[in-house]
Amino acid sequence: MNRNTVPWRYRILAVLSPLALLALWALVTMQELVTPILLPPPLAVLAALKDMVAEGYSGVDLGTHVVSSLRRVGIAFVAGAVCGTMVGLLRGRVIEIDALFLVPSEIVRPIPPLGLIPLFILWFGIGETSKILLMFLSIFLITMVNAQAGARACGLDTLRAAQSMGASGWQTFRFVVFPTALPQIMTGLRVAMGTGLTILVAAELLGGDRGLGFLILDASSFFRTTYVFAGIILIGLIGFVSDLVLVALRGRIIHWEGKR
Amino acid sequence: MIGTTSKSVGTTEPGAATERPVLTFDRVGFAYGDRTVMRDVSFGIGSGEIVSLLGTSGCGKTTILNLIAGFLRPTEGRALVDGAEISGPGPDRGVVFQAAALFDWMTVAENIAFSLRCAGRPRRERRQVAEETAALVDLAGREDAYPYELSGGMRQRVGLARVLAARPRVMLMDEPFSALDVQTREDLQEQVLRLRDRTGCTIVFVTHSIDEAVFLGDRVFLIDNLRQGQFEAFAVELNAPRASSENRLAPAFLRLREAIYRTMRHSH
Ligand SMILES: Nc1ncnc2c1ncn2[C@@H]1O[C@H](COP(=O)(O)OP(=O)(O)OP(=O)(O)O)[C@@H](O)[C@H]1O
Ligand SMILES: [Mg+2]
Repeated sequence: MNRNTVPWRYRILAVLSPLALLALWALVTMQELVTPILLPPPLAVLAALKDMVAEGYSGVDLGTHVVSSLRRVGIAFVAGAVCGTMVGLLRGRVIEIDALFLVPSEIVRPIPPLGLIPLFILWFGIGETSKILLMFLSIFLITMVNAQAGARACGLDTLRAAQSMGASGWQTFRFVVFPTALPQIMTGLRVAMGTGLTILVAAELLGGDRGLGFLILDASSFFRTTYVFAGIILIGLIGFVSDLVLVALRGRIIHWEGKR
Repeated sequence: MIGTTSKSVGTTEPGAATERPVLTFDRVGFAYGDRTVMRDVSFGIGSGEIVSLLGTSGCGKTTILNLIAGFLRPTEGRALVDGAEISGPGPDRGVVFQAAALFDWMTVAENIAFSLRCAGRPRRERRQVAEETAALVDLAGREDAYPYELSGGMRQRVGLARVLAARPRVMLMDEPFSALDVQTREDLQEQVLRLRDRTGCTIVFVTHSIDEAVFLGDRVFLIDNLRQGQFEAFAVELNAPRASSENRLAPAFLRLREAIYRTMRHSH
């Protein structure tokens, strides 16, 4: 769907659906159908958010929590995406490299990141390294699989056309294989960003005293449900904004997609 | 001289006017695994000659082009260009694909100048060649469009231009106009003939249309059974300039068309 021709009906529905959810949430809590410990009313969550903005959480201000989470995700995302995409592209074009990575990556891929936490604590301690590596691993695997599929999507005629115009192996890769793989690479980035944020909370289980994941876990252990919700909403917003950025980027870079 | 029957044409026919053929198949055989597509195929194609390949689906026309392009290697015999064995694809042999196979992420100009980019030519030269070549195929002014903004006929023109820009010795065209309407197709056929006259390029043109084969070709190879090296070569004798639509109604055109049609009917 072209961004310029998004129909009004689409926009209206896209805006209405979260508002409807919010209304439903308000309604359920106003009728006191559930205890506030399980589902606090929206206004109480807003109050918790305001409180955190003003006072911070557990002695650390909210900005620091947000920034330290963003930093972890950011490092893991950039490093994981760059490595994963490179390895994936190579695997897609060079069968020897594909063979090299096949068994290790297929063994690691199904392991849930949470299952790796004890091991990572043993190996890398409870500092930043463990947290970032946990996210890195998942992001790496997701972007690798997508880049590999993208590199394979290149049609034989397109490759042959490049070769018959004198393109070297590297030129074919750079001018033809890589652009062909871009749509799938971008899809991989979006999925990886989402998964990275999911793992963030788990990664911050590894100890430490800052970060949105820490905030959520800490608040939940004291049954401060409003703060749990506030933290969840912040992570959700980060995910939402980063996805918007990636989608906008995709639309800009991959102008040719779906137009043939 | 209509219907020169020849099991294999080892040397260039008179009319092609060269001493040494540009393209030579010397008892070429090819098999996909144990599936033999051709055996003992020999022919020579002269400089500046256009040869049309005509034959039933699956008879091996694309395989012949792929062998000349260097995408495939003969499993027997030798395929030569300018007397040297073909060892792989190269810009001296350009390919126009049936589905154009353009690079959708590049503009028309970038598509056309792709071979120059690969050869490390500077940006200004690339732009200039792209503009000149675009004008040659009636695409002037569309250099900055993307392929998806073009019609099917224009896309084929870009496919043609990008091959021309590499200044190839040989152009290989695999049913490039089969998906186009009659008018666009005839227009492009005439353009191909004019380009040949201008550049002296040798062309092998695969088609399913007898009319197209005769209108374009200096010779038409009607493929019978490539597994036994059998095809018939028909010499086309039409008036110059060949790029004239009058030729489509010329008695010689109609006669040759009929002769080829009858041969096709008899052998299948
Ligand atoms: N990649 C392949 N692997 C195995 N067999 C193939 C392959 N490509 C083509 N063939 C076989 O080789 C034979 C010749 O194919 P080719 O594509 O040269 O035919 P063609 O004359 O171009 O047909 P068409 O007019 O339908 O394009 C066919 O029998 C086909 O099944
Ligand atoms: Mg074919």
